[in-house]
Amino acid sequence: MSSAQFVQYLVAGITSGSVYALVGLGFTIIYAVTKIINFAQGEFVMLGGLLSFTLIHSAGLPLVPALILSIIAAAAVGAAMYLLAIRPAKKASVVSLIIVTIGAAIFIRGIAGQELTKAFVRTPSFSGEQSISFLGAHIDPQALWIIGIMVVVTIILHLFLNYTMVGKALKACAINPVASSLVGINPRTMALIAFILASALGGIGGVVLAPLTPLSYQAGVMLGLKGFVAAAIGGFGSPVAAVFGGLLLGIVENFAVAANWGPFTSSYKDAIALVVLLLILLVRSGKLAEEERAG
Amino acid sequence: MNGSVILETRNLTKAFGGLIALDKVDLSIESGKITAVIGPNGAGKTTLFNLITGVYPVSGGEIYFQGALLNKVPAHKRASLGIVRTFQHVYLFGNMTALENVMSGRHPRSSYGFLEAALRLPKARREEEAISLDATKYLNLVGLGTHADQDALSLPLGQQKLLAIARVLATEPRLVLLDEPGAGLNTLEKRQLSDLIRNIREMGISVILVEHDMPLVMGIAEWVVVLDSGQKIAEGTPAQIQKNAKVIAAYLGEDME
Amino acid sequence: MLARLKRNWLYLAIAVVIAFFILIPFGWFLGQYTTLMIFIGIYTIVTVGLCLLMGYTGQVSLGQAAFFGMGAYISAILSRTYGFNPWLAMLVAAAMTGAFAYIIGYPIFRLKGNYLAMATLGLGLIMWILFRELSQFTGGPDGMSGIPPLSIGGFVFDTSFRRYFLVWFFCLAVLLISQNIVRSRTGRALRAIHGSESAAESIGINVTHFKVKILALSAVYASLAGSLFVHHLRFVSPQSFDFLASVKLVVMAVIGGLASVWGAIFGAGATRILSDEILLRFGEWDVIIYGLILVLVMIFMPEGLFVKLKEVFERLRLRYRQRGTEP
Repeated sequence: MSSAQFVQYLVAGITSGSVYALVGLGFTIIYAVTKIINFAQGEFVMLGGLLSFTLIHSAGLPLVPALILSIIAAAAVGAAMYLLAIRPAKKASVVSLIIVTIGAAIFIRGIAGQELTKAFVRTPSFSGEQSISFLGAHIDPQALWIIGIMVVVTIILHLFLNYTMVGKALKACAINPVASSLVGINPRTMALIAFILASALGGIGGVVLAPLTPLSYQAGVMLGLKGFVAAAIGGFGSPVAAVFGGLLLGIVENFAVAANWGPFTSSYKDAIALVVLLLILLVRSGKLAEEERAG
Repeated sequence: MNGSVILETRNLTKAFGGLIALDKVDLSIESGKITAVIGPNGAGKTTLFNLITGVYPVSGGEIYFQGALLNKVPAHKRASLGIVRTFQHVYLFGNMTALENVMSGRHPRSSYGFLEAALRLPKARREEEAISLDATKYLNLVGLGTHADQDALSLPLGQQKLLAIARVLATEPRLVLLDEPGAGLNTLEKRQLSDLIRNIREMGISVILVEHDMPLVMGIAEWVVVLDSGQKIAEGTPAQIQKNAKVIAAYLGEDME
Repeated sequence: MLARLKRNWLYLAIAVVIAFFILIPFGWFLGQYTTLMIFIGIYTIVTVGLCLLMGYTGQVSLGQAAFFGMGAYISAILSRTYGFNPWLAMLVAAAMTGAFAYIIGYPIFRLKGNYLAMATLGLGLIMWILFRELSQFTGGPDGMSGIPPLSIGGFVFDTSFRRYFLVWFFCLAVLLISQNIVRSRTGRALRAIHGSESAAESIGINVTHFKVKILALSAVYASLAGSLFVHHLRFVSPQSFDFLASVKLVVMAVIGGLASVWGAIFGAGATRILSDEILLRFGEWDVIIYGLILVLVMIFMPEGLFVKLKEVFERLRLRYRQRGTEP
């Protein structure tokens, strides 16, 4: 592999990894605050992409307002999902909640397909199509936008969680829900905020990804899964770990395909994330079992 | 001490990461007696139960049951050896009736499997009849015979605890570990509980009891072991324990009921 | 005497239902629904396995379509490409699928709840990708056709009429076996695991062992259904075994009542009829409706539609009885 190719694959890996990181952050936040795995997480990415396309092309909105509106809309859907589907089912078993989030995911996906579009859509790049030359490799400027925005978002999130009242309350709720409710933090409000945050993060992911990669209404499934893997690598604990997990997955994915290992042709690319997922679950299963016992 | 020893621990230790829950505890539980394990909160009493029943692996030391080493025996095999327990939070099978809960307790004393069940072979039908009859017997023993077909969780707490005891008795145990059986019961229920525990002893079953209710414990225990911060600090008859300075000091650190 | 009267009515009702089922495929009765009923029968078999696994034992499988597909593909490949006797192929498929489930069961069941769900989801997707990509064996994304029909001696199951009875024969067998299991010591052990794993273990139930066994049984059921599926359609493609297929199976189990064996017929039937009707009237909205149903049923009736209907029926019956005994 030449150095130019190496850089190419590395950047591609970091780019997709950044999107996985955003999704993984969403998973982590919701899980930390509510102990729920939100199977619909990937759909918010899809919504971000499809909504921005629809707003730009059907509603004729200029770029920036369309993007912002899409993110807000994704967050609104997240809030609606929590209020209409999750909160009423809160007392249900883990299995029931899983089915509820899957149902919500299918519902959102279906509505998007019906009401927005069934086609693959691409939105205009933020800063033009001229590829940037770097160490011999050709890099799409959108990739830099994706990576940059992910970094900015992560920093803002970190500041939010550690230096604002709401953010700190969210963290407290994640660490000890009982104690935090005793000091006046309402767990239901925190859960709502967690869902809004997570869906906004997903929306941002979709909004920045759509100019680079065509998305369809089905995109949420694999994106969600890969975001879950990112969060799983990070142990569902800290946001930073989820980001690390996302980047790791993106890089591994791209290099495995590049290296053409055995069955890892590009059609098997998705399988890589699945294999990583199973490996992590297997490795962690010992630790998870201990958690369950002690808990 | 006379009589044989049914359960013995030597240097029993359990550590969770850096936290030492049990620290080189030596116990010698006499067969056919009611032994109480008491101590302030966090003393390691439930951890002790979890080690004896195999829920946690041992960090150090050995457990001997009727002379045989217990350490490597998997948790689910211990019931057929004769060791069972009840739980602080009861843990009844909520998706079953009271009778079905006790019938589940017959699991280690019955043997037909998937195939016999699937085809309803004669062996399965015979054993089912026996299971049903035996379970009814144990249900009557704790006085819940009339509630056989009620949903287990629809019973009041006191009766739920009795049901849990019936369930473990159905396994025909040699040793029963009762984890805070009196918690949440009123005075009358506690009296019925004491009578039941004495009945169990009369059946030849050894009992180890973890309890916070001192009058209850002192009323039925024949031997008392006191744990504090993972170590055994005293043991003796109820009378001896009540006068033991170390025990009183340990409890002064927290409220005695 | 009242008990005997009630029992006679029950036998009569059962006889009527059986007669109804036997008459369905006849042209002068409900013959146009034969194909629909074949599919309902096939999916009922899978659903029963899922009910045993999820409803009774309290586990979760978001990848059950993988077992369904394994049975389908192994039967298809062995009988079409390698000329195996279709019955033998079906047996081999069931054995292989069951063995596979048994092997992955032990590591998988170290996980619980969400993590278990994710693992089954991942496995299901991996299987689907394999169905799609191992084209030398599976025919790739376009699938395989030309799968021979089942036959006994000279009697070939080459009409829907004949296949209807074949499928429902197996379906009935599966239902009866499952009912026997549920009412037995094994069934109680499974329900005990669902009720409290700690307590189950403490009374001598080998929790992991039972979970693995019931997973294997559900896999065998699904494989059997998959084999019947391909010998009916004479065609197989990966599309029938994707994530959505697994979700639809969960919907069937949920609607039928997770902890109800006979409810599986209701679940598979209602889901299938609903999706056919919706597909007819609203095109692609069936998926959306699925999503909505899942959410609503889990919120309001977590024990399943069928069981809830039974409860309502019971309550009405009691009220009717009370009114009857009033002076």
